[in-house]
Amino acid sequence: MADVQSSDNHRKPPGPIRAKKTSTRIDFTPMVDLGFLLITFFMLTTTLARPQIMALVMPDKTPDKAEIQDSKVLTLLLGAQNKVYWYEGIEQPELDSTDYSAGGLRRVILDKMERVNAKWGLEHYEDSRSKTTKNGSLLTVLIKPMRNARYQNLVDALDEMAVCRVRYYMILDVSAQEEAFIHNPIAGMVFTPEQQKKAVY
Amino acid sequence: MPKHKPKRGAPSVDMTAMTDVAFLLLTFFMLTAKAKPQEAVVVDTPSSISETKLPESGTITILIGPDGKTYLDMTGQHTRKSLIADVNSRYKLGLTEEEQVKFSNAGSFGIPRAQLKKWLDLSPSERNTFPTPGVPIDTADVNKSELADWIHNARIAQFRMKQEGVVKDEYVMVVKADKDTPYPAVQHVINTLVDINVNKFNLITSSESDPNKKAEEGSEK
Repeated sequence: MADVQSSDNHRKPPGPIRAKKTSTRIDFTPMVDLGFLLITFFMLTTTLARPQIMALVMPDKTPDKAEIQDSKVLTLLLGAQNKVYWYEGIEQPELDSTDYSAGGLRRVILDKMERVNAKWGLEHYEDSRSKTTKNGSLLTVLIKPMRNARYQNLVDALDEMAVCRVRYYMILDVSAQEEAFIHNPIAGMVFTPEQQKKAVY
Repeated sequence: MPKHKPKRGAPSVDMTAMTDVAFLLLTFFMLTAKAKPQEAVVVDTPSSISETKLPESGTITILIGPDGKTYLDMTGQHTRKSLIADVNSRYKLGLTEEEQVKFSNAGSFGIPRAQLKKWLDLSPSERNTFPTPGVPIDTADVNKSELADWIHNARIAQFRMKQEGVVKDEYVMVVKADKDTPYPAVQHVINTLVDINVNKFNLITSSESDPNKKAEEGSEK
């Protein structure tokens, strides 16, 4: 294809020796290599550029007072330096802290989930995607990021909800009592049931 | 009669056809690849196990930088054009047709409405050095919040484009924040969205392996 056909098929006439004709054939291999390298690059960048998304549904602004049992609730306070403060229930909370590792927050959620399941049983619901009936826990997690939390902390907490298959969770603001406790841990968290109910709803 | 000798030496393969194919594909991918307009702020997203992919079109994106500044971006040239025409006539920004076209190609922006004209007159490289205070959010009064107003108008523009058949998709609200963005900045954006009844939105994350799946795979083995 790329070489030029020489037309002297007949015998060479005797005479002075001519310079040997160099072949004009071009080696295309490096060019093909480069071509495919670029194809690979463009293929990978066009398809992998789309990032993942995580859906988040916030409750409507209209006050909606759903009754919730004290023993189903787990509250997570997302604090500074990747710390999570957590307590169970509403009326007599005991505060503890953990981190975002698998042995930390996930353990806390799964432990609580187990106890909620033991007490309240499982809820049957229809999974909208697979159209099958599934069992879900009735555990309700309240996520309250504090002022000094990072965005990463919020996503980590939401991620744990997905990992632990928590169906009921919401993002709420931190109450003044909770804020005061974090700033002064020695004083302890002073809660009256009314205050805490106010903080939750 | 001379004996027929087989040709010696390495067999050479004709590369021309392969080159043709390679470059045809290369041209195709280069042309289909969309040149991504530079984002106003570099955002390093946190990771999550979510596997849902971001839709390609119809997204309204709120970018929140690590410093808490808010930027706005939306896809679709026609939608953006319709949006800026709306905003221009409502707030009398005095944008020329040319400036409106510039806006429709501009990518993300993070400047108060009043400075928009000045910003659009800059070249793309000058815009990088232009001080951007972010799209103003009024946390106390949603009616005064420019972010809320932009999003409201962007939704209207998207809806109108869908009615006219220019775009196919419903809008998708997306929040893209940096790992280190302080939570109050995110909270202001979320509160603004809830205030204008956008209760469903998406957080952009990078991928991370799902420990549940890993455990399932492990038990199968």
